[in-house]
Amino acid sequence: MNQYSSPCSSGCFHCGLPIAAGVNYLASLEGAERNFCCLGCQSVCAAIFEAGLQSYYQRTPEGVLLAPPPEPPKDIEIYDFDEVQQEFITCSGDLRDIHLLVEGVHCAACVWLIERRLQREPGVQLANVNLAAKRIHLRWDSSRNKLSNLIRVLARIGYSAVPYDPENAEGVIQKANRSMLFRLFFAGFAMMNLIWISIALYSGANKGEFREFFHWMGFALATPTLLYAGYPFYRGAVGGLRVWQLTMDLPIAIGLSVTYAYSTYITVTANKVGEVYFDTVTNLIFVILIGRYLEGMFRHQALSATNRLMELQPRVATVINEGKEQIIPIRGVKLGDHVLIKPGYKVPVDGIVLEGHSTVDESMLSGESVPVNKSSGAKVFSGTVNANGALLVEVSSTLQNTTLAKIIRLVEEAQSSKAPIQRLADTIVPWFVLVTLMCATLTFLIWNTESFEIALMAATSVLIITCPCALGMATPMSIAVASGLGAKHGILVKNGLVLETLSKVTHFVFDKTGTLTEGKMSVAKMHTAQNIAGKDVLCSAAAVERYSEHGTAKAIIAEAEAHHLNYRDTIVLGFHATAGLGVQANVNGETVLLGSAEWLIRNGITLNAGLQAQAHELEAQAMSCVYCALGNVHVAVLALADKLRDDAQQLVNELRAASIGMTLLSGDRKAVAEAIAQQLGGMEVIAEVLPQDKDRVIQRLQQDGKVVAMVGDGVNDAPALIRADVGIALGSGTDVSVESADIVLMHNGLDKVRLATLLSRRTLLTIKQNIGLSFVYNAIMVPLAMMAKVNPLVAAITMPISSLVVIGNAARIRNLFKNEKS
Amino acid sequence: MNVIYTLIPGMTFLGLVFFAIMIWAVKKGQYEDMEGNASRILQDDDEDMMP
Repeated sequence: MNQYSSPCSSGCFHCGLPIAAGVNYLASLEGAERNFCCLGCQSVCAAIFEAGLQSYYQRTPEGVLLAPPPEPPKDIEIYDFDEVQQEFITCSGDLRDIHLLVEGVHCAACVWLIERRLQREPGVQLANVNLAAKRIHLRWDSSRNKLSNLIRVLARIGYSAVPYDPENAEGVIQKANRSMLFRLFFAGFAMMNLIWISIALYSGANKGEFREFFHWMGFALATPTLLYAGYPFYRGAVGGLRVWQLTMDLPIAIGLSVTYAYSTYITVTANKVGEVYFDTVTNLIFVILIGRYLEGMFRHQALSATNRLMELQPRVATVINEGKEQIIPIRGVKLGDHVLIKPGYKVPVDGIVLEGHSTVDESMLSGESVPVNKSSGAKVFSGTVNANGALLVEVSSTLQNTTLAKIIRLVEEAQSSKAPIQRLADTIVPWFVLVTLMCATLTFLIWNTESFEIALMAATSVLIITCPCALGMATPMSIAVASGLGAKHGILVKNGLVLETLSKVTHFVFDKTGTLTEGKMSVAKMHTAQNIAGKDVLCSAAAVERYSEHGTAKAIIAEAEAHHLNYRDTIVLGFHATAGLGVQANVNGETVLLGSAEWLIRNGITLNAGLQAQAHELEAQAMSCVYCALGNVHVAVLALADKLRDDAQQLVNELRAASIGMTLLSGDRKAVAEAIAQQLGGMEVIAEVLPQDKDRVIQRLQQDGKVVAMVGDGVNDAPALIRADVGIALGSGTDVSVESADIVLMHNGLDKVRLATLLSRRTLLTIKQNIGLSFVYNAIMVPLAMMAKVNPLVAAITMPISSLVVIGNAARIRNLFKNEKS
Repeated sequence: MNVIYTLIPGMTFLGLVFFAIMIWAVKKGQYEDMEGNASRILQDDDEDMMP
């Protein structure tokens, strides 16, 4: 009898995925043979049975396919250090609270399994799984159990968990947005109730016995709305006035106050003639809050770029102390300590190599994707990744003095000193406020000669009717629609405000490696000696390089794959690599040598003069050459280069046609950068720059009065991306660059830059149209108000209409890319 | 018609109470995990208590 409803009888017992032919993972559980698709599933299932929690399989809902367990997290021991835990836990002492992010949770049965299993561990007081957010809230006694042990228990039953800080992840801006949403809800609630009261008043109650009662009800609803939901406008207006700026909040605050004060005056004095405008107050607050909320959703979260950078800094280091390895927190590492860096680990400090040989991926600092050889005497930098050999390093600087820390400081500096974006609407508002106030004063003075009552009413209605509802919605609504459309076409607008700026950009700055080029080496050209087939050379070369870890190897193998060469069926014997020179092996009985010219000479091979001349020519074009010898005869030269992206040429041509200035910025050698610029038809080249120089180049361009857009992808581009008026990052780029950028291009489409520019132009046009529409509305309504012809009913109808027209116009942006394929 | 003197303030007050309850619920995190708690109630953990 099969009491456990495995998702599918022929599939894996644990995850239900079909089992590939020839795979044989069997386990005997409670007397029945079970099949598994992989070792992971098998061991997880065994662990579940061992813990006596096998009814997990009964609880899994029918039809839910589990997935094979995810990779368990690496180096979890570091989470046992108090210094590391400090960032995540909420209370100190032995009893600790932590949130873990879990991978591999699919259904309610997982919740049951995790909670049951964790509660069995000693010291665990609370384990609460949030299924929707895939998080665990854990409270445990750290004197009785280690955090790394609990994470390992989770890994054994098939879940990968890492600590995280919900406060940090949620962010300050999101919290502000939530409080804005509450205010919006409240304004909506008050507005809907007030509509009924207004309808009663308009339909005749304003003359009968209930007139005062309804007035007081309006007062009761509008007062808390004004104080609670309208608070952000008053705060903004006062904040603006303090720095002598007339912001959009000011006319809103004036309009709200005057409308409210006038209505309250009518209510309190039980005036028999005047009308109350309480519904207009709440309506205004509600509509403008919608605009503000939309705006808040597209605000740039600037803080996270530095957070991402900090994450690159390893938290612990392996220090050699009297011949013993010792893992200590990074703060405890001192100058002159000897630190061991194992292959695959990040370099924790800046230092000088004492022993060992390895290649180090320094792309985060230099932007170059080709790993750099390091042997004794070379400098290594914090945050870079050690690829394939162990290194013993003497610490030369730690924490605040490392190169990585300097980049973090640059990013912070760029963030704090960047000028705020001047929005079109902001430039109009001061004039708008002045004209409105003058109109109101004029109205009051003219009518006052006739009657004080009418003068007060007319002047107030001027202020009420001009309240810039449409003007306030003009920008946020357009940006919201444009951002939504952009996201659909692979343009992620992180900071909506730059959509206005992008159309005014006069200068583009490009990073080279990874942005204009693909960022990886590939075989660009191959020259062979006479009577030798290129295919044979490539096949033998790929057969050897299959065993190499070097960057060159990947390029040669990719080229062989592209030509569908059958290099795997060769017999390779005696593979041997000499660092910095080349590799050697015996392929099908023939000696194959690959490497530098010196490598061949050392092995007693005379170089082919013709090939060598060709190689020099290629090297002059900034390609690196690999010499190849078959059977001790020099037969070929392979030229490796970083290829241009397919769409780079097109983009550069279009920008040039639009007479937009361009600069190529690269940390690479000058010759290489020049060669790329040449291929693209020439542009200004600034090569061999450090991250701080990139930032400075942008600053210099901006001082020349140019509006600069920066396109980049690396950590070293982060300060420049923030400094530029518009920072554009590629989706494949590092997390840091994505966080620093205002716009992210998904799928790495450089041609999306063109779409983004189109989108930006259209957005600016729509904003202008919207501002125009709100002026047309005012041009009609203000004269009416000055003639004292506006009553609450007219205000209640025309004001929402003006907002609706603006929203409708903004929605038309969606038609922009109808002819572009998504 | 005098009933509206109590009815309208009464309903508005009730509306406010519901609004306050909703804000409280959101802040308490009751809307954070809609699926987990829904299925947790169906898990019977009383097998060992059954005769």
